[in-house]
Amino acid sequence: MTELQAGQGAQPLEVPRIDARPQRYRDVLIALAAFALLALLPFIFGSKQLLDFVIRCAAYGLFATSLNLLVGYTGLISFGHGMFFGLGAYGFGLMMQKTGVAIPVAFVATLAMTFVVAVVIGAICVRLKEIYFAFVTLAFQMLIHSTILSWQSLTGGDQGLRGGIPRPPFLGIDLSNHLHLYITSCALLVIGLFLMRQIAQSPFGYTLRMIRDNATRASFIGIDVWRAKLTIFVLAALFAATGGMIMALFVSGAYPEFAYWTISGEGIFINMLGGVTTFLGPMVGTMLFLILNDTVTRLTEYHGIVLGIVILFFAIGLRKGLMDFAVEWFAQRRGEGRG
Amino acid sequence: MTRTRKPGISRRSTLALMGAGAATLAAPWVARAQAKTIKIGMPTILSGRVAQLGTSSRNAVMLEVEKVNAAGGLAGRQIEMVIRDSKGQPQEAARIARELVNTDGCEMLLDGEASSGSFAVHEVARDLGVLCIHTCSEASSLTADPKQHIPNAFRCVRQGIHDSIVGAGYAAGIAKAKGLKKWATCSPDYAYGRDTTGEFVLYLKKFAPDVEIISESWPKLFQPDYTEVVTKILQAKPQAMYSCLWGGDLTSYIDQANIYALFTQMEVFAVNMADYTALTVVKNLPKGIHSGDRYIKTFPATPENAAWGDAYKAKYNEYPTNWSWQNATAVMFLNEAVKKANSTDGKKVAEVLTGLTIKCPFGADGTVTMRADDRTLVGYAIGWGTTIPQEPYVPDVKAGDWKTIFELEAEWKKSKGYT
Repeated sequence: MTELQAGQGAQPLEVPRIDARPQRYRDVLIALAAFALLALLPFIFGSKQLLDFVIRCAAYGLFATSLNLLVGYTGLISFGHGMFFGLGAYGFGLMMQKTGVAIPVAFVATLAMTFVVAVVIGAICVRLKEIYFAFVTLAFQMLIHSTILSWQSLTGGDQGLRGGIPRPPFLGIDLSNHLHLYITSCALLVIGLFLMRQIAQSPFGYTLRMIRDNATRASFIGIDVWRAKLTIFVLAALFAATGGMIMALFVSGAYPEFAYWTISGEGIFINMLGGVTTFLGPMVGTMLFLILNDTVTRLTEYHGIVLGIVILFFAIGLRKGLMDFAVEWFAQRRGEGRG
Repeated sequence: MTRTRKPGISRRSTLALMGAGAATLAAPWVARAQAKTIKIGMPTILSGRVAQLGTSSRNAVMLEVEKVNAAGGLAGRQIEMVIRDSKGQPQEAARIARELVNTDGCEMLLDGEASSGSFAVHEVARDLGVLCIHTCSEASSLTADPKQHIPNAFRCVRQGIHDSIVGAGYAAGIAKAKGLKKWATCSPDYAYGRDTTGEFVLYLKKFAPDVEIISESWPKLFQPDYTEVVTKILQAKPQAMYSCLWGGDLTSYIDQANIYALFTQMEVFAVNMADYTALTVVKNLPKGIHSGDRYIKTFPATPENAAWGDAYKAKYNEYPTNWSWQNATAVMFLNEAVKKANSTDGKKVAEVLTGLTIKCPFGADGTVTMRADDRTLVGYAIGWGTTIPQEPYVPDVKAGDWKTIFELEAEWKKSKGYT
């Protein structure tokens, strides 16, 4: 039987179109509420440490959530995602130091530069599968890290960008004021998460899940797997670069460690902690990771052992991230309640 | 029936651990209860490959702080050190430095970070205006570059440029005496290695114009295997070699080069050799390696320096490192500056610190100075000598001349566009 004959006998399939708008409105509301809550925090608690914590959460959270778009949604385990975090920090820092343009211009220009680099690297990497993809991304990361170290005249080598990042005020926002930096970081975080959520919930997001589950099948039904993978690789890179820019503003500089493999490793670690099956898993993982890091390094210099035990607990004990566990637990309880 | 001891932690040690844990947790509250303490924060590297940097810095700081506290503290206030591990990550160094000032209430910072971490802490000092003394970063640009100048940050550390000038002067003397014209270099491939080697070669050629570099090797930082580097140098057949490898890299290099008998075939100038951390770790320390002083208790050959080295050894059962004397000197500077200012106010202390000269066991003439124009340490004991395989390891150190250092440093700053 040919395809045509098969088609003749079959009834046209009615695909119910789900209106995505109500969910989007809900997401907008949640995002606004989250932003309002974050913006109120400094007025409720006077702690500067809390502000620093949230700013770092924004940088790492955007980075980790964007990594989850690759790891959790598309099944692309990238070991080199940190390169875009580093690129964002360096691109933005250099732009501000060398050109003196307005901050939004530097922000957009950095994203544009990241876009170009991510397209080139992604076009090579996403052709590969699994471990090969992981290792080629790692190789590119090390290439970028080495370039930063060697290109001393531009990047300052291992000493990083010296002399601080200038922050001329724009539209009434002065990022050298810590409160302004905090609010801006929160805004970037919430907008970034909102956009990533829309990507994850879009038909494109579901295409990614399909590629993750069965790439061959996806390509048989006419999906250009390579193009879809490249698109998400580039999009994830843009969000990671945004995280890098927040970090550059926080430390007022950019350092080669931002583009080192350990940053990518931390991203994977955060995803394992928080879980990769829920959208907010990496965000929860980020908070958990930073709280753990901050408290454990305060108490002991053998923090490596403690963090190692924690990750073992998640990997062997829970066998999933915290959010995955919580979601399953709630689902189970609800099931029991009904039963 | 025989009673076997179960493996694992015994009840007694569990109790001891719990006791220690409770004491650690209670410590901040006990400290807070004591009135008038002054907290000094210190981000440093206490874990990973260069953990020794942080631990030997911390040891030296505590040694000096105990002395200051026993003598009544800083302007009557007992010092409480808050020392945290940055893991050598600049973002962590920045975070910890901010936290130490904003949350823990530290009024001053001793920055025990190396390389990028020190630049990150410098930005925190710029942002918060807190008094900060860098105690570990040797990168010359940290204070030479005018972009880095802020009135509240000081550097109490030796510098790559000073080492290069003194080393090149010493090496040129030997090159002329022994007719060493063909040189090789072998240094780690990052800013410190490239800069220090470049500066050494520049001044070596200035002092001994017929020197020629016939081979350059740039092994990666923390490279485990140096075979190809060693064979490359041997093939080039130089008469002398310069290296600014340091720590574990230097000791691995020497152990591996020993197999090829490299040290019998050329004169070796390794600026970072004469530090106890390297001297005591190398399996067969070759005789006659030329090295700059890092920390040696016999240089400067004064009773004060020897006593300090011995006191450190007695307390911690190991010899101090180069980082140790720098950190100890920073505490000495703070102590003197607070006495002179008769206040612990950061701004007043910073004003006094600028240009301050103090008595110090590590001074070339018994004193060291915090130079006013770039707020950096000068006048410390600096010199070169040759190694022997047992104590005192470097028996005869030839002191460098600070007048020459100042002249050439000023030229160097001009050439870099810093002045």
